[in-house]
Amino acid sequence: MASLFQRRRSKATQTERVRERRHEGFLRYANFRWAKISGGLCLLIIVSYALIDVTPRPNGGSWYGYTLGTIGAGLILWLTALGYRKRKMTSDHWSLKAWTSAHVYLGLSLIVIGTWHTGFQLGWNVHTLAWVLMMLVILSGLYGVVVYSTLPAALSNNRDEMTQMQMLEAIRAFDRQLHAAAQPLTPQDTAPVLAALDEDPFAGGIMARLSGRYPDCATAAALRALGASRSSDAGAREKVVGLLSQKEVALARLRQHLRIRALLEIWLYVHVPLTFALIAALSAHIVSVFFYW
Amino acid sequence: MSFILRRISTTKTGKQIVRDQPLPGDAITLGREGSNVIHIADLAVNPHHATITSADGRHVRVQASEGLGFDFNGRTVDAADIDSAAGAELRFGGHRLTIAREDEKIILLVERIDELSQSSKDVDEAKAFSLAGVMPGKRMGAWVFGVLVLLAFLIGPIWAWYSYHDVDERPQGYHADQAWLSGPLSSAHKSLTNDCQSCHVEPFVAVTDKACVGCHTGEHKAMSMAHANAPTAMLLAARHPPGVGERILAGFAKTFNKPQGRCVGCHTEHEGAGPMPATPQKFCADCHDGMSARLIDAGFKPTVADAADFGTIHPEFRPLVRPSPGAKPMRAMPGKGALVDYDGLKFPHDLHLQATGGVARMAASFRGRYDFGNKLECENCHRVESDGVRVKPVEMERDCAMCHSLAFETVGGVTRTLRHGEPDQVVADLMAYYRSTPPTRPLQLGGMERRRPGNYAEGQVYNIYFREVAVRPNRAEDAVRAVFSKGGACYDCHTIFAPQAGTGWRVMAVDQTPRFLSKGWFDHDAHKETDCADCHTAARGSKASTDLLIPGLRQCRDCHVGEGGARLVKVETATESPCAMCHEYHSDGGKPWMPARQRKVNSAAITNKPLRATYGVSMVTGSAERGLYDVTWRTPALHGARRGG
Repeated sequence: MASLFQRRRSKATQTERVRERRHEGFLRYANFRWAKISGGLCLLIIVSYALIDVTPRPNGGSWYGYTLGTIGAGLILWLTALGYRKRKMTSDHWSLKAWTSAHVYLGLSLIVIGTWHTGFQLGWNVHTLAWVLMMLVILSGLYGVVVYSTLPAALSNNRDEMTQMQMLEAIRAFDRQLHAAAQPLTPQDTAPVLAALDEDPFAGGIMARLSGRYPDCATAAALRALGASRSSDAGAREKVVGLLSQKEVALARLRQHLRIRALLEIWLYVHVPLTFALIAALSAHIVSVFFYW
Repeated sequence: MSFILRRISTTKTGKQIVRDQPLPGDAITLGREGSNVIHIADLAVNPHHATITSADGRHVRVQASEGLGFDFNGRTVDAADIDSAAGAELRFGGHRLTIAREDEKIILLVERIDELSQSSKDVDEAKAFSLAGVMPGKRMGAWVFGVLVLLAFLIGPIWAWYSYHDVDERPQGYHADQAWLSGPLSSAHKSLTNDCQSCHVEPFVAVTDKACVGCHTGEHKAMSMAHANAPTAMLLAARHPPGVGERILAGFAKTFNKPQGRCVGCHTEHEGAGPMPATPQKFCADCHDGMSARLIDAGFKPTVADAADFGTIHPEFRPLVRPSPGAKPMRAMPGKGALVDYDGLKFPHDLHLQATGGVARMAASFRGRYDFGNKLECENCHRVESDGVRVKPVEMERDCAMCHSLAFETVGGVTRTLRHGEPDQVVADLMAYYRSTPPTRPLQLGGMERRRPGNYAEGQVYNIYFREVAVRPNRAEDAVRAVFSKGGACYDCHTIFAPQAGTGWRVMAVDQTPRFLSKGWFDHDAHKETDCADCHTAARGSKASTDLLIPGLRQCRDCHVGEGGARLVKVETATESPCAMCHEYHSDGGKPWMPARQRKVNSAAITNKPLRATYGVSMVTGSAERGLYDVTWRTPALHGARRGG
């Protein structure tokens, strides 16, 4: 008996090794097992909806609607549990990868479950609010899946084998050099350099982070000002200008890094809070149905 | 008097090294340029920023030289006088100059207190490089959104319910529980939109019939008579065995206390604005499809045949008929011989509807006086009621007397007729006629010429005339007999009973059934585009009035198919017909209710025969000479079904 378990375990380990070697992500986990299950579920719902004649008309209150609604509500709670699962280290069959794969594909199937649960009756009420929130959560999650599969490559290309602290350190180095090199400059010229030194590389709101555009960038402004200035010693100024443009490049790399990270992270700021708004709306939806039964 | 410049540097291990350096001269210059006595490598400091002097070796004056001041006690000033014994802190750019007094000497301590640049500051890598630095936290967002939604859509509506739970009628305006409205109310209940509690009286209790009856007093019986009189066990046995879906629904209903058989079971609300939808066929067919077998199994005697869909499974009609002369009306049993209905009249439809022959020629001769054509049509004798639903009983004076005249005498241009429906009066009138009027006087008896003897001889004029005068009253008996006997005016149409002891001439009572199909509703008005003979197919060949000319199921199915379009025969103009098109549930025998939008018949095909109404010219306008052809066309195919039925 013990040897049997051992064999199974060793086989499982072997399969896991193969997966590791081929770097099987959560999307293609177990040869798209959850994609198939979820697709089959959607197909079943769409076909049965077309075949079953629900009276008096399809909506959430028919037996078919109740069934879909129960499945959907359970699914929403289970999908939310990913946040709990990912914080918990376990070593059993439900690997986090498997869980995430199921989360993504079953979450997508919720589009069909939830929408077909409505019977396509939508209006300005809490019931449709729950549906809208659900769709927003799913769409933000879909965005997350897409950026997770496309943006990390761009992130890696941009960092050019630097860590993010090394990027910051490069800027610091340029700042020190700038500070030293700018000493001979006239006060008129030092002001823009000082502003450039005073600039926080992490400044800028969410819009600047997402767009990667910093129109008020002090480094760029200093570069422009010193390029036009004639007041200081030309040699010292030239050195400062060279350092400023180098800093600008380093800053651009950091900002691009920040932008890609923002694009990678922003969906979670929609996904997670709206999930809880959805659970609140779902509770109101279910309570309202039974309250005014 | 001397100034000491103190510099403090910190080793990596945190040890501080203090170096003091006496400064030459009375005036100490301070600036970024190397020529200053105190050289501060700080871009925020001017090349020649300030001069520090002391007149008495104790009080220090700091004077800014190039317009850019310094910070002293939090304020930017251009000059400051400081008692070194008291000490002071001045700030030049990112550096701090501390003035103190030790051993009669003025100590100037210069330290960099600001970072060289903003980027040099320490950062929390996890926070600075992620969005956490610029976005409110996810946890915070989750709480805020969650609480807001719960407040607006759960607490608010419950509060709205609680505020008005013992109020009869809510005030107008928005109430939070309107957010729970699952769909618009039907037009009849539209005014209740912001008063959820008018129907949902108790929380977690499904809408009760009591809430309906609160307003619908009287006009709605809870059930039709047939259903109300049936034992509950029988009604339960009639229901079809539940499928998977219905078991799920029943499970939900049972678990969450949603009783079945309430008004709202059929009259579903929140299904969209506009009239409440008619109850679909399935609500009837759920029981009536295959019901008799289930009833027999359960030990009940079924009284109605199975019906599932008008197009496929529907029993043959059972019109009310009188199976023998003078019998009481009873429902016919189709399939047991030809259907007969004794209404007491003799009326061969075939004779009257012939295109040629005596009747047709007589009708043609009356053209202009009556609305006759070249021959008689059904509508020449059969008139519909004012609402168009049914056909009026035939009335002799109105519908027959155009041809079947009962006139017997003209007095001064006025025609006297026998009284219809009163045989005793007829007898009396004929008697009086024969008694009061002499026979026509021969011409020979007129004039003033001398009368010759011999004219009184038998066979002569006088003899004939005066004998006639003498016996004339006795002729009345013959005339009466003739009227009531074969060949007479009454006998043609009525069954006559000859006088017996104590009675005179009697005519059999005529019973025209006003409504043959009492369980279903038929509206002639809805079918007025159709020729009578299209449905009453047997009329043209009917030789006796006992033939029942009510159309059967077969004729209806020429156009009417099941609710879902099911049919057994080929149909050109398919009219989808749910049960509720003909059957009324609550008031047995009444007109079935149907929402206006469904009154327009859902025709799936267009008949290939254009209706007469579409090309019949209704009016020619304009003067006779010009614009003769400006015609107003009748609106085509305004089907009567739009107006109900």
